[in-house]
Amino acid sequence: MKHSFLDRYSDLDSPVHRIDPRARLIAAFSAIVIIVSEPHGRLLPFAFYGIIILFMTAMTRIPPGFILKRCLAVSPFIIIAAVSYPLSVPGAGVVENGYLLTEGVRSGLTIFLKAFFALVLLILLTSTGKFHRLLAGFRKLGMPRLLGVISALMYRYVFILHDELLRTSRARDSRTPGAIRTSRVRVYGNQAAMIFIRSLERSQVVYNSMLSRGFAGEFPDMDKLRVRAGDVLPAGFFILLLLTVRIISQPLTERLFN
Amino acid sequence: MACGIKIENLSFSYTAGNQVLKNVSLDIGPGEKLGIIGPSGAGKSTLLLHLNGILAGDGVVMIGDTKVEKRSLPDIRRQVGLVFQNPDDQLFNPTVEEDVAFGPLNFGYTRGEAATRVRQALGEMNLEGFENADSHHLSLGERKRVALATVLATSPGVIAFDEPFSSLDSVMVVQLLGIIGRLDATLVIVSQSLLPLASCCDRLAVLVGGEIRACGRKEEVLADEALMREGGVDMGFYREAFKKYLE
Repeated sequence: MKHSFLDRYSDLDSPVHRIDPRARLIAAFSAIVIIVSEPHGRLLPFAFYGIIILFMTAMTRIPPGFILKRCLAVSPFIIIAAVSYPLSVPGAGVVENGYLLTEGVRSGLTIFLKAFFALVLLILLTSTGKFHRLLAGFRKLGMPRLLGVISALMYRYVFILHDELLRTSRARDSRTPGAIRTSRVRVYGNQAAMIFIRSLERSQVVYNSMLSRGFAGEFPDMDKLRVRAGDVLPAGFFILLLLTVRIISQPLTERLFN
Repeated sequence: MACGIKIENLSFSYTAGNQVLKNVSLDIGPGEKLGIIGPSGAGKSTLLLHLNGILAGDGVVMIGDTKVEKRSLPDIRRQVGLVFQNPDDQLFNPTVEEDVAFGPLNFGYTRGEAATRVRQALGEMNLEGFENADSHHLSLGERKRVALATVLATSPGVIAFDEPFSSLDSVMVVQLLGIIGRLDATLVIVSQSLLPLASCCDRLAVLVGGEIRACGRKEEVLADEALMREGGVDMGFYREAFKKYLE
């Protein structure tokens, strides 16, 4: 079975795709830190961040619809956090003197925007290159080796588990007239247990296969990453741009709104 | 370089009282191709796992002049390559290159040497240009060939195949037979696909209920229909089918 639900656009060719994963990682996480460190209630800087991220998205050639769909999967949590903020913090009301854009609402909005932009940046990060290269980048940046091995194996076996899920679902559906009734929800439990048992068995066989090729606890890698000026410069420029917005937006906001 | 295999009185059980292998003895010469047939649950895969020390039963397994035991495992695993039935069990790295390089790097080859071996092994499998492909995006036939490349990359003297022909269409079976025919190693092939097995092996062994019932020239073994039926192969069916549809 073919899968492309994790890194569907990683094969595209764009200036962002060509950047070394380490540079992309540093740029993405620096951008998230810069955006998240923005004080609550100031909306103007987010307009600039939005423009920069939009420009970046256009450069990657990844369809915005794909990014928005991914965001939708997590957005309920973000929306709950953003909406509940003005209602839960004392003094941060929703309506003030007939105006809706109170301090509380603005803070809620900034929470939403911070989470949304962080999410978009992470989606861009994972969609602009192969996952294994990203992991290699993480390893080069000092990620604990064991964590890297576990992540690589998890990524590899997500697809096999997905296959198992599809196979067992087809077997179930082929013998089920219509939807399974709530009273027969036990079937789903059995299916989950079966997938779990198969995964356990498979992990044993995989381990045998690793042993048969000399595995002794260390995962070797081919160490093929090379950083060039062409990787560092765009990533550095991106960070600098966001940092500039972060620094100059404070006096600008004060001048415009005070 | 191809090396011989000698198995003497090998017995093994996963759980007490349930012997999967019972006093198995086999002598396989260097460069020989031995096929093992037998019904499901006969202990064929279990026997293969003893060849490179993943399982250790009672008895003696010798690869060349080296006895399979705990202290000789690094040498044995370099000498014996296992090709598993399901390539997904063998391909656990994100890319084909990393999977094929896994063995050579574990056995102490430098990254440069490993890269050369990866290139050679993929070349032998007609998989040039697949280095950066994701293993899970390949077709079954390609995954099977990559799985074999992971073993060839360490140049083992013995290659043990577990059901290599299962789930392959006949065109892919012919391709695989061509590859097997070119291998310069001692081969032990466990399979229930009689025709491809018989066409690539010099000798056949029949394993039933953990015991070797017969081992000899393939013509002799195939001629004993009662023995073949015991080994899970109905020769009459093949003969009838051939007469009815192909002759």
